[in-house]
Amino acid sequence: MADSDNDSGGAHNAGKGSEMSPREQDRFLPIANVSRIMKKALPANAKISKDAKETVQECVSEFISFITGEASDKCQREKRKTINGDDLLWAMTTLGFEDYVEPLKGYLQRFREMEGEKTVAARDKDAPPPTNATNSAYESPSYAAAPGGIMMHQGHVYGSAGFHQVAGGAIKGGPVYPGPGSNAGRPR
Amino acid sequence: MFTKQMISSEIPMLMSKACEIFIQELTFRAWMHAEKNNKSIVQPCDVAKVIMQTDTMNFLTEIIPNNLGDFSVFDAKEENIANIAEENEVSLSFTAGFMGNPMMKMDSEENAGNIVEGNQATLPYTSGFMGNPMNMMNMDNVRMK
Repeated sequence: MADSDNDSGGAHNAGKGSEMSPREQDRFLPIANVSRIMKKALPANAKISKDAKETVQECVSEFISFITGEASDKCQREKRKTINGDDLLWAMTTLGFEDYVEPLKGYLQRFREMEGEKTVAARDKDAPPPTNATNSAYESPSYAAAPGGIMMHQGHVYGSAGFHQVAGGAIKGGPVYPGPGSNAGRPR
Repeated sequence: MFTKQMISSEIPMLMSKACEIFIQELTFRAWMHAEKNNKSIVQPCDVAKVIMQTDTMNFLTEIIPNNLGDFSVFDAKEENIANIAEENEVSLSFTAGFMGNPMMKMDSEENAGNIVEGNQATLPYTSGFMGNPMNMMNMDNVRMK
């Protein structure tokens, strides 16, 4: 499903093919996913122009670079090679997004618990096909987190389904992260 | 050049969630702005206004000039012109001065012709507009990547 959404988003970006090279398309998250999340923030009668969706699409991509850039700088100062979740949370606090940290901490805790379960489950599985190794490493954690989201039953407006879709978008945004391939080699 | 860096398996999940929260915050604030002006459709100028009025969104100011330029040049209908005029009335004097600057339109046209060159041409102007050392640092940070 996530792949399909990514294709849809890519197709939309392709509509601007005359102005953007294929590489340019990869600079933004899929607009279909961005659009869906935007609608969740507004009442049913609200409408969003296509241009506004594209503006937010650019803004969220800049947000990713902004946060991960700060986290990356911190790791370099501390001579560490791997950016972890706490580095991201620190970066958000430093850059003025401290309100995001509390909900994300809850998600991170739940994710780490699910990660433990995934490791156990992985032993019972056959080795995944080589061609899907990278996707598998990305998708499994996101998928595993979804049940946790359901179990929490928090009052947040952020649904686990939406989260899963965004996870797909994040995969599309892979080039933003320095070493996406390293995930495949680091199952916990 | 960069030393090779890696990310833990937590990062994609965590960043995805952060992006979702960010999109919804930005969208909700933009809608509040649209409602304040009795509009039922969120437009790029609503998003731009949020970015200019919210401190934590300052890192996005370098993105917005192009969007505003595109908005005023390519969608130059009476309705849109009225919206822009309305914006000028409501907005801060500094913002009004910025939005009323014809240089932005020229940049936009140039940008339409050549994206890469346009981006380069826009940067110095953007720097002048922001005039804020913190933003300069952010821009340098972006370039480092």
